[in-house]
Amino acid sequence: MKSRNDMNRRSFLKMMGWGSAGVALSGCDMPTTVTLEEGAEKVLPYVTPEEFVIPGIGVWYASTCLQCPAGCGIHGRVREGRVLKVEGNPDAVINAGGLCQMGQAGLQVHYNPDRLRKPKIRKGERFVDAGWEEALALVTEKVAASGGDKIAWFTNTVSGHQAVLLDAYLKAVGSSSLYVHETINNAVAQVAAKNIFDDATPVYAVAKAKVILSFGADLIGASDSPVGFAKDYARFRESPRGMLIQIEPKMTLTGANADLWVPARPGTEGVVALGLANLLIEKHQVDPAPLSDGLRRVIKQYPGTKVSEISGIPVETLQKIAAALKAKSPTLVVTGQYAQGHAHGYQNVAAAMALNVLLGNVGQTLLSGGEFPFPQLLAKRGNSRDLLAFAEAAESGAFDVAFFVNSNPVYTAPAYLKFKEKLSKIPFKVALSLFEDETTAHVDVILPLASYLEDWGTHVAPYQPETKTVSMQQPLMEPLYPGSTRGLGDVLLALLKDRLPEEYGGFEDYYAFLRGAFDALPADYKQGMDSENFWRSVLTKGVLEVPTGDRPLTAQVETVALPEYEKNTEYPFHLVPSARLGLWDGRHANLPWLQEAPDQIAKAVWGSWAEMHPATASRLGIQTGDFVVIESKQGKVEVPVYVYRGIHKDAIAVPMGQGHESYGRYASGLGVNPLKILEPVTDQKTGELALMGTRVKVTRQVKGQRKNRLVRFGGSETQVGRKLVATITADQFNRTEGA
Amino acid sequence: MPKSKRMINMGRFRMSAVSACWRGAASVFATSVMLLVGLGMTGSAVAEVPNAVPPEGTHQGKDVPQPILFPHNTHVRDNGINCMYCHTYARRSKVAGIPPLSKCMGCHTVIATDKERIKTLTKYWKEGKPPPWKKVHDVPDYVHFTHEKHLKRFVFDNEGMDVDRVSEVCAFCHGEVREMTVAIKNKPLNMGFCRRCHENNGGPSDCWACHK
Repeated sequence: MKSRNDMNRRSFLKMMGWGSAGVALSGCDMPTTVTLEEGAEKVLPYVTPEEFVIPGIGVWYASTCLQCPAGCGIHGRVREGRVLKVEGNPDAVINAGGLCQMGQAGLQVHYNPDRLRKPKIRKGERFVDAGWEEALALVTEKVAASGGDKIAWFTNTVSGHQAVLLDAYLKAVGSSSLYVHETINNAVAQVAAKNIFDDATPVYAVAKAKVILSFGADLIGASDSPVGFAKDYARFRESPRGMLIQIEPKMTLTGANADLWVPARPGTEGVVALGLANLLIEKHQVDPAPLSDGLRRVIKQYPGTKVSEISGIPVETLQKIAAALKAKSPTLVVTGQYAQGHAHGYQNVAAAMALNVLLGNVGQTLLSGGEFPFPQLLAKRGNSRDLLAFAEAAESGAFDVAFFVNSNPVYTAPAYLKFKEKLSKIPFKVALSLFEDETTAHVDVILPLASYLEDWGTHVAPYQPETKTVSMQQPLMEPLYPGSTRGLGDVLLALLKDRLPEEYGGFEDYYAFLRGAFDALPADYKQGMDSENFWRSVLTKGVLEVPTGDRPLTAQVETVALPEYEKNTEYPFHLVPSARLGLWDGRHANLPWLQEAPDQIAKAVWGSWAEMHPATASRLGIQTGDFVVIESKQGKVEVPVYVYRGIHKDAIAVPMGQGHESYGRYASGLGVNPLKILEPVTDQKTGELALMGTRVKVTRQVKGQRKNRLVRFGGSETQVGRKLVATITADQFNRTEGA
Repeated sequence: MPKSKRMINMGRFRMSAVSACWRGAASVFATSVMLLVGLGMTGSAVAEVPNAVPPEGTHQGKDVPQPILFPHNTHVRDNGINCMYCHTYARRSKVAGIPPLSKCMGCHTVIATDKERIKTLTKYWKEGKPPPWKKVHDVPDYVHFTHEKHLKRFVFDNEGMDVDRVSEVCAFCHGEVREMTVAIKNKPLNMGFCRRCHENNGGPSDCWACHK
C-alpha cells in the first residue's frame, strides 16, 4: 500500500482529474463572498450609440504601430471606449497582418502608470506642474528671442505629415538644425547603398532569394522591418526551401534560424566577404567582369587560408559557403549592425555589396526603392552621427533652444560624449515625451505627448517592400488624460500658428490639417469618392497605396580598403552591445511585458547579462551566473555571465536596453547599459558611431550585487540525451516517407 | 525582491477589487438570517420554463440608490415590455447592456413627460450625459459570463419556450425584477450557484469555460 509520501506529481494530478468535481464543489458556496459589492461601480450607458457598437463585443480599428521605426499597420480592438488588444493589420503591406511583441506591448505604453499628465516647467532644481498655454507661451518666448540655426530639434524617426509640420516649423524659424537619432539603425548600409546603387533604400527581396548570406543582419529581430522580414523569411523558407547562412559575432534571433551559423571574429566580416569573392572567382569560375579592376586586385589579396586566419572561420566552412552561393541563383548578401558597427563598417558593407554585384543579384534580389511621389512625407531616418554632431554643436554653444522629441539621448549616448554636461551649454531645452526619463530630467520644459494609440498621424516607413504605402494612424480611443496631453502634430501646429498665423491659423487642430492634406491629394487617388468617403475608406483600410516610378538599379563598387586585424593584449575582447526585439534601444524597458518576455537567445528576464563562449569561460574560470566586470577604457559594467556557444570566443555580448536611472517604476535600477562604456570610435566613411568597435577586458568578480543576479527561463541548453524532441535526418526521412 | 514587488503593483486594481468583495461578504453574512424571510416576500409564482431547472439560492441584496428611481415594475409588469426590448445586447453579447439614453427618449419624448423622473431623464438627455447608474449585478473579472449563451440555451434554442416569457429566464439570476423598481440583487451569483445550475441543466463543467 502506498503511504502518503508516495503521492507524487503524477498521482496528484490523476486524483485531481477524477476527484476534483466533488471536492471542489463543496467549496463553492463559501464564495457567497466572492461576489461584488452592489452599487460600488458605475455603469454608464451610451447616450446615442453607433449602430455597430455592441457593448461587450469589440470593434477593430486600423492604425499604425510606433514602437519601432518599422511602421507596421495595426488593428486595435476597442470595447466600451477602451483599446484592449493590438494585432497586425492584414491590409498593411509592410507586415501583412503580423505584429511583434513590441507592438503587442503598445498597450502598456498607453496605459502606463508612469505617463506624464501635466506640462512641467523647471523652477530651480525641481519641476512644477503648469498648464499647456503657460508652457507653450514660455517656449515661444524663448524661440522668439533667438532664431535661425540656434533653434535645434532632436527627434527619433519621424515621417508623414508630422515631418511636414516639423520642416515647416524649422523653415519658419529659419533653422536647419534637425537631428534624427536612432541607436538601432541601418545608417551605414544606407550611405553605402546610396554610393553604390544610387539608392539609399534598395528593396531586399528576401523571398525571391534561394540563398541568403547575412553578415550580422538580424533581419527578423532588430532590423529595419522585423515583421516584414519575418513574413518574407517565411516565404523564403517555402518550397524550394531557401538556405540562410549567418556570419556574426553573436547569435541573433535570425542567426538562430539559420541553416549555417558561423561565428566570425568581430570586424572581419568584410574580409570574409572578399575571401568568398576570391573563392568564387578562383575555385568556382564565377566571371569577375562586373567588378572593377581595382576591386579584383584587392580580392586577389584575400585567399581562403589568409581569410581563415584573420576571421577564425575554417577554410572548409568558407568553401562550403562559396559552394552554396554558387549552387543556386539568385542569392542575396545583406549586412546588419554587427558588420556595420566598426571603424571600417562602411568597408565591410562595400565588400558584402561587391559580392552581390559579383553574384549578379542587383536587379534580382536587390531592387530599386522607386521614386516616392511625395518626398516631403518621406521618413527622416535615424542614425547616430546626428547624436555626435548634436553633442559637438551643443558644446560649442551653437544652440539657444533645443527640442527633444520621443528620444532619450542622455541614456543612449556613450559616457565619453559627456552628453549631460554638453546639454548644460544649451540655455533652454524642451522635451516632448510620454514619460520622465534621463533626458527630461535635464530640460527646462516637459510637454506630455499623447500616446500613439490616442493620436492622429500619417507614416511613411523608412524601409518598405516594393509596394509603397502611407500608413494611417488614428486614435483608438479618447485621450486617457483629456486636455493634459497633446499629440506631436498638435504641438507642432500650435507652435506654427504662433509663427505663421496666416498660413496655419485656419487649421483648428492637427486632424483638420490632415483632412486638408488628404483633400488636396490628386484625384486619381480618390477613385471618384468625395472627401468624406475617401477619408473613411483610407482610415478603414489603414494604408494608402502610393504608386512609385520604376527605376533600375545601377551598381558601382569602387574599391574596398580593409584594415589589418589588430590584436589588443590589454583589452582582448570585443564588446558586442546586442539589440533585440523587446527592449530595443532601451525605450521599452518600462514595459513589464517586454521585461518579462525572455531574451530570444539567453532566455533571461528583467536584467542584464554578458554572453560568453564556454572556452573563454573555462579559461577564465567562470560559470553561468558568475559575476564579471567588463571594462573598457571608458568605464566598466558589472553583470552576471551566461555561458553559451552561440558567440565568438573573442566576443562578449551585453544586451542594450537596461541600466536606466530614471525611467519610471519598472525600468529604473535594473541591469546595466553597455552603450555607456563605448569607446570614441566612428566609422571613418560615414561618421556613424561604431557600436562594435570597443575592446574590453573581463575580470571575475567574487560576489556580485544580489539584485543583479541572472534570472533565466529554461534550465538546460541540451536534451541531456532524453530525446525530448524526436529528430530524424533528412536522408532517413526521405527513405521512410518517400522523397 | 524588487521585481516581484513590481508585478504586484501591476495587478493593483485586481487586488483592490478582491478586497472589496471581502468587505461585501461581511454584510452578506450578517444578513443571512433574513434570507428565508426575503424569499417569502418575493415569492410570486414563476411559470415553468420548459427543459430547465431554475437555479436555487437567494441573497439579500441592499438597496442601491440610483440617479433615477427607474420602475422596472411599470415597464415590465404593468406594460408588458419584453426585457430584451431595452436590454437589447443580451442576446448578442456577453453583457445585457444598460439601454442607451436614445432608447429611453424614443418613448419618453411623448409618454409621461410630466413625471419628475422623466424630467430628470430629459435633463440628462439634453445635456448629452448618461445617468451615472450604479452596477447591481456583477461577477468578478476572472469569471467569463455571457448572456448570449444563456439566452440561447434557455430561450432561443429551447423548444417550447416562448420569447415573450423571457423575463422568467432572466429571473433565474436576476430575481423578480418585474416586481421591483430599481434592481436589487437577490441571487447569490457565486460559483456554487452557477455550478449547480450547470449540473442540472447540462452546462459546461470544465474550468476554462468560465475562467479563461
